[in-house]
Amino acid sequence: MSELTASPYFGVALSVIAFGAGARLQKKLKTPVCNPLIFAIVVIVGILLVFKIPYESYYEGGQVIDMFLAPATACLAVAIYSKVKILKDYWLPVLVGCTAGSAASMASVYGMCRMFGLDRGLTVSLLPKSVTTPIAVSVAEPNGGIVPVTVVAVIFTGILGSIFAPLLIRLLRVKDPVAAGLAIGASSHAVGTSKAVELGETEGAMSGLAIGICGIITVIFSLIIF
Amino acid sequence: MKIIRQIGIIFTICWLSQIIEHFLPFPFPASVTGMVLLFVCLLTGILKISHVQEKADFLLENMAFFFIPAGVSIMNYFEILKNSAVQIIFICVISTIITFTVTAYSVMLTVRWMNRRKRDE
Repeated sequence: MSELTASPYFGVALSVIAFGAGARLQKKLKTPVCNPLIFAIVVIVGILLVFKIPYESYYEGGQVIDMFLAPATACLAVAIYSKVKILKDYWLPVLVGCTAGSAASMASVYGMCRMFGLDRGLTVSLLPKSVTTPIAVSVAEPNGGIVPVTVVAVIFTGILGSIFAPLLIRLLRVKDPVAAGLAIGASSHAVGTSKAVELGETEGAMSGLAIGICGIITVIFSLIIF
Repeated sequence: MKIIRQIGIIFTICWLSQIIEHFLPFPFPASVTGMVLLFVCLLTGILKISHVQEKADFLLENMAFFFIPAGVSIMNYFEILKNSAVQIIFICVISTIITFTVTAYSVMLTVRWMNRRKRDE
């Protein structure tokens, strides 16, 4: 079996099929809880374990997919650039909100990690969990974090954010769509942004903007910490 | 040819970022350098959005897909995670609520301050 699966085509094909199935399921169920990425990860891990296929075989194809991570991150610039007009009008609240939000996220994660006595590897993996996956991974990886833990924590946070957002907006009486959008983007990156887009155009744009800005601010904070 | 050119542009930016990462005196992730580099190129007009549009849309729309291998490698870490799964879930829930609250209130305060200043002028 392992000779048959140790081909780059196997890993890529399996990933596409699992992700496609997850995306279809989400379209049908219309809930952020069924995230295509989480679905694909669970299905692929399940298949590899059941058929006793080593991770290394899957990674023959996995590394082909990995190659697109840096270009995809770079392209976040295109997303920010398309919102440069609103950034000009709201640069101060955007900057203040994203700085405060990123600081609050990292400080609260650090505090709780210490409280639970988690080791350095796990703490570093969780620290950047509120920002978009490519940036979170670039913060965690060189500082001794466990990349898959970061990936799963980031997606889980995104799902939490998109579920909590409407609730928190009501509870905290956030009437300003600028504040609501930035809070969603700062706390739950792209997964939350898909929810913010549903709430309104301003919310969506602000949330999208917060993804990139919080990402950069988190990188800067991590440079100071490590 | 258009798509190939766009891939060429973006991959060149990524390669330049790796070179920059190599020479920087402090560790700064190459992928974020690439983002800043591309943003500056767009702002200064060195690149137009039409130079990268289709490739960027393709990468941004399928962003989640590219993280599957990274996520799947979690199977190599089950042992480490077994003992701290509950704590990790707790941390994610609480810090998400804290981050949302702090961001929302700091933005609302800033906007209120800006409006008051505008009125005073």
